[in-house]
Amino acid sequence: MAEIKKIMICDDSILVRLQLSNLIKNYLPGVEITEASNGAEAIKKFDAVRPDLSFLDIVMPKTDGIAATKGILALDADARVVIVSSVGTQNKLREAIEAGAKDFIQKPFSGEQIEKLLEFYSKEA
Amino acid sequence: MYAQFFGSYLLNQHAVSPEALTNAIQHMHETHIKLGTLAIHMGYMTAEQVDDVCETQKKADMRFGEIALDKEYLTLPQVKELLNAQRPEYLLLGQELIDEGVLTNSQFETLLADYQFDADISDLGTEENEESENIIRKFFADAERPVDDYTLLYLNMVFNDFVRFIGSDFTPLPAVKMPTYTSTHCISQNVTGEISLVSRLDMDDRAAIGFASRFAKMEFEKYDDYVIASIGDFLNLHNGLYSVNMSNQYAVELELDPPMEEDKKSISVDDRTYVIPVIYPFGTVHLILTI
Repeated sequence: MAEIKKIMICDDSILVRLQLSNLIKNYLPGVEITEASNGAEAIKKFDAVRPDLSFLDIVMPKTDGIAATKGILALDADARVVIVSSVGTQNKLREAIEAGAKDFIQKPFSGEQIEKLLEFYSKEA
Repeated sequence: MYAQFFGSYLLNQHAVSPEALTNAIQHMHETHIKLGTLAIHMGYMTAEQVDDVCETQKKADMRFGEIALDKEYLTLPQVKELLNAQRPEYLLLGQELIDEGVLTNSQFETLLADYQFDADISDLGTEENEESENIIRKFFADAERPVDDYTLLYLNMVFNDFVRFIGSDFTPLPAVKMPTYTSTHCISQNVTGEISLVSRLDMDDRAAIGFASRFAKMEFEKYDDYVIASIGDFLNLHNGLYSVNMSNQYAVELELDPPMEEDKKSISVDDRTYVIPVIYPFGTVHLILTI
């Protein structure tokens, strides 16, 4: 367990980044967290840090989460991207999966949802 | 209202693969909800009983309802109710996954029960929703601002989201008529696509801090970036949920822009714009909707 060493959180909301980061640190205390506030920054930081798991919002300035997912997957075809978005329409879900996202969490998320997800990817890592 | 998220729930639970889900979403409108699936959804039959009826159906040329009556799994009024019941859209997804052999009736039964429990849904019926829609329709008709279906859905949801994320201790006032509205601390979000709308929340320092503290479940003391982000997150969350419902109910696809700050701005209040003061104990939140 706990093979996840680095996680990236990308959301334009400083509040969502804080909430998500607190939940993750609570479950994986030693994990290194990288934050990005838009999709373009996420691609850059992914390339520099190579996180084991990335959480991406969809609606963001500059580059959105779907485009950023494609950009990240182009850098690393095995990258594990989880979309965390309020726009959980079936079209968006399909776009996210087609872009290469492994999971889709509908906002508002709960601590339990995030924990389950971290548990799953820790086992898989 | 939360039934639309069944697909992403199945994925989170790793009950279906991304490919199987994508496939089912693409084909779900070609399927028909079977009486057995509906009976499981309504809690009238167990998956085991449905499987039993289907087995019998293979041997005898009888309808599902007739066999279920013979076996005393259903009563006649229940069969009639099932035949006339509304078929919620998200059940189509379940039916398609069952038809494709991705889920068994029994897995579907368990996932549905867990989902309803997780999402804290006690009743997936629509009566409560219709009731609140009627209240809102009447509220705006009385204020001589009748609303169309898309606007009604928006307002019904925004009030539900106020209850859900901020608290039920508010009183909405009738829409205010004025030529222009000058904002204080305003966050706006544009929604585009087959219809376009602009949603804004405007409030003073004190109301903004109160609103954000409740939404984020944190104690904020001054108007700062976290308060601004909280109001933006509420708007983004609400508009996201609205776009999910518009897609499910009306097949209208919408795109959201990121939330923006519009402090001290003069906003023209035309025929398409509603300015609705919502009074909370911590202050007044002005909902400004151009739709």
